[in-house]
Amino acid sequence: MKITDACVYPYPLGDSSVRRFAFEARSYGYDSIVAADTPVAEICGVTVIPGIFLAGMPAKDVQSRAKKSRGTGAVVAVQMGDNRFNRAVAGTSGVHILRGIHTADKRAFDHVAAKIAVDNNTALDIDLSPLIFGRGHLRQKAIHRYLDLMILYRRFEFPLTISSSARSVLALRAVREVTGLCSLFGMDETDVQAALAGVGRVTDPGESLVKVIP
Amino acid sequence: MSIRPPTLREKRRYLLARIDPAGTIVEAKDLYYAVYEAVVSLFGDVAAAAMQPSVLAVENGYVILRCRRGAEREFAIALSTLSACRDCTVAIRVLAVSGTIESLRERIATLVPLVSAALGQDAAPAQEGTADPDTCRYRFGSTPVETVVWHGHKVDAIEKGFKNTRRLFLTTEDLEKIHATTIPDGL
Repeated sequence: MKITDACVYPYPLGDSSVRRFAFEARSYGYDSIVAADTPVAEICGVTVIPGIFLAGMPAKDVQSRAKKSRGTGAVVAVQMGDNRFNRAVAGTSGVHILRGIHTADKRAFDHVAAKIAVDNNTALDIDLSPLIFGRGHLRQKAIHRYLDLMILYRRFEFPLTISSSARSVLALRAVREVTGLCSLFGMDETDVQAALAGVGRVTDPGESLVKVIP
Repeated sequence: MSIRPPTLREKRRYLLARIDPAGTIVEAKDLYYAVYEAVVSLFGDVAAAAMQPSVLAVENGYVILRCRRGAEREFAIALSTLSACRDCTVAIRVLAVSGTIESLRERIATLVPLVSAALGQDAAPAQEGTADPDTCRYRFGSTPVETVVWHGHKVDAIEKGFKNTRRLFLTTEDLEKIHATTIPDGL
């Protein structure tokens, strides 16, 4: 089980090099990071997984991008849109993570989309940046969305991931701090551990999705 | 008002935290306002009043904070949402919680020599307008950078340029020497 930060933006998108991110991530208790526009690497025992973050695209383009990236080892994460878009994307094979629920509409992710996500083994991302950097309405909205998400999570148990969306090493948070922040919307330590291992769950499911019960 | 006897005093907890990035100088008063704002914005006035957050001392890149006993977990969560102090981008990393300031000071005393040993080179950023050729010997990619803090493999550098002077967080492997030659020492 790898403890992964599901989204960081190294230089030139941020101000920290990917090596520095890996150094800091190791000291904060991570085994791997998903970094935007970065090749696969192993730095100081931290696995750097390339991330493809898609935003503002129609579902058809997302499908073609996901198809192209198949077999590259990259994690494909898509920014959430309206309900129809989310259902379409959640059911697209090759899409690993749905991101940005804190900016999406209240009804953007419902029980139908949750079921599709479970069937397709697509994870929902919990972005900590609005909790860390947001104040007032922005943070309240994010906490509200995450509380809603947790209700669906308890019912359907789709994979979750946790990301810092850090553009600097200063925005990275240690696993202990992540646990504290996630407790604000009702995640306990077990849930946080499962969510931190969520990237491994969606990229390498391991066990078969269909269980034969005698 | 006379001081209360020890059994009637409020129990408190003291937190030791590191201020990132290394070498950042922050005033205790500014940090107090930033901490208080972080607590109030996350938990509200009532919880902040019950928590009684306070900044006791800022020394050698570490800060000692105080809160009421039982509220240290919430206080640590609030500290993890702190991202700026005045105009500086900072992060507060909680290292330890203790019942006495003395034990935290002892811990700082053990941490500071380790950090000093790791700091291979610790140069203050050059003043505006000064151009010391010795400080601009490295580049990151195609960008010349001026190193600010070396901490083992970690290097903090400032991008050299007319306008863009943001701080970059790099490692020694990322840096490349400018005008590095292969001429041996004997020549």
